[in-house]
Amino acid sequence: MVARATSLGVELCGLPLQTPLLPAAGTLAAEVLCGMEDVYGAIVPKTVTLEPRAGNPPPRIAETAAGMVNSIGLQNPGIDRFLADLDEYDVGLPIFASLAGETVVQFVRLCERLFADGRATAVELNLSCPNVEHGGLTFCSGPAVVGEVVAACRAALPGKPLLVKLTNEGVVGNALAAEDAGADGLTLINTVPALTVDAAGRQVLVRGGLSGPAIKPIALRAVYEVARMVGVPVIGCGGVTSGTDVAEFMLAGAAAVQVGSGGFVREPREILEEFVTCLRNAGLAAAELTGGLR
Amino acid sequence: MKLHRVRVLHRERFGDHALIRYRWTGPPPEPGQFVLARSAATSHALDPFLARPFFAHDHENGTTSLLFEVRGRGTLLLSEVAEELLVSSPRGRGFEVQGGPVALVGGGVWAAPLKLLSRRLEHTGVPHDTYIEVPRNAPNDYAVWLAQGYPGARFVHTGDTAGAPWRLFDEIGDLARYSTVYASGPEETLATTKKVSEGRVAAQLALRETMACANGSCYGCAVPVLGYDGAYYARACIDGPVFPAEALAW
Repeated sequence: MVARATSLGVELCGLPLQTPLLPAAGTLAAEVLCGMEDVYGAIVPKTVTLEPRAGNPPPRIAETAAGMVNSIGLQNPGIDRFLADLDEYDVGLPIFASLAGETVVQFVRLCERLFADGRATAVELNLSCPNVEHGGLTFCSGPAVVGEVVAACRAALPGKPLLVKLTNEGVVGNALAAEDAGADGLTLINTVPALTVDAAGRQVLVRGGLSGPAIKPIALRAVYEVARMVGVPVIGCGGVTSGTDVAEFMLAGAAAVQVGSGGFVREPREILEEFVTCLRNAGLAAAELTGGLR
Repeated sequence: MKLHRVRVLHRERFGDHALIRYRWTGPPPEPGQFVLARSAATSHALDPFLARPFFAHDHENGTTSLLFEVRGRGTLLLSEVAEELLVSSPRGRGFEVQGGPVALVGGGVWAAPLKLLSRRLEHTGVPHDTYIEVPRNAPNDYAVWLAQGYPGARFVHTGDTAGAPWRLFDEIGDLARYSTVYASGPEETLATTKKVSEGRVAAQLALRETMACANGSCYGCAVPVLGYDGAYYARACIDGPVFPAEALAW
């Protein structure tokens, strides 16, 4: 059990969370949730799409200095199977469903399915996937596209907290557009576009997204800049591998923090325990850290 | 992923290959299972970032060993660990052991999991023959080093060009006299095993895949397999790393 003498609870979009830690989408399988009930504030299952996706052919991952590049390709069973199996993620914590589409209509359909189902407490839009209606650029390619998809999803999810996960590129403008369109919270940031090369084989090894400690300063900067500009809560994400990292993101302005590939190399419980130590040393409750830079 | 601090009892190095023995009092590895390992000395810095998956090479009297190829900085650091390692419990689905006689087919250092398998077969009285291919241009004492690890095995010197595994199967001869072929080796060896075993004998292949989470979360260790609705990507870390040859969509 994580010692709870220190107050770890935070509020996010009106939802009380027992801790400010969340798993980043796609980094915590239902098979390994057992024993995590007191670690996370909410569970974020792997991103789901309208139809099943096979994902990208291997190789899908390559280690880099202080991180890794992945190109999974959003492998998932599609919304029908996702909903059929959703109870596997029910460990008594709120479920934040991560959604991705290739068109605005697909995003809306997914929101409608989630809304009708009712079990997901909140929705997080993964806007890093290619938008086939805009030449394959991602939904994060500019404020207009972000605003369009967020507004459409907002209308499809009346009363349900809507989070929007953004990439680092153009993050301030996109964050403002998402807020204007009705987002209740912003998750910053998704992986950073990256490439690894097999020099001996003279070929691309993995073309995908960089995660891990290498991107932590980038993510911190994004959280810091955006949190000062918006009125909705920000969830920090990117390179968190320690309790100090969690504290840094919250001081920079995050109301909660996601652990992604850091959870592959550290036990999330240890990260939370380190965070508790940070709070004790500071004599603060978790919620008091947010934006607490002097 | 919970990693346990364990004491290194022995290490040796032959060319690009390293063997590490460590004290392990947890659940013993099943043949074909893997463990994650990283150097305890560098773990605080998370450098290298990811732990490395290795097949359990052997396990006896509370001592587990890993046999691996030194390919880069991560495996080099591991090969030099003198005192403590961080290791996971044995993970994944290993070989399914049934009746014999069976053939064990391996390629050089990548035959690592066959050692523990042969120990299990000995223990359960399943008759088995072991064949290990050695590159033709390997130094002679390399074969001697391998022979110490696989007593009773037949070492087949192959060429160092593509298609070399066929020589191994020429040496093995008629596969029909075996009930199962267990293979662990380079991709060419596994692909050839799948091909020559089709319709003749059951085959189980141990796949070496790059892994990140090793618990089914990240879908990084994708393996194309055949399902009821067509091909899909399984996860080597929890669905494998040993797969029936007929399940693989190669």
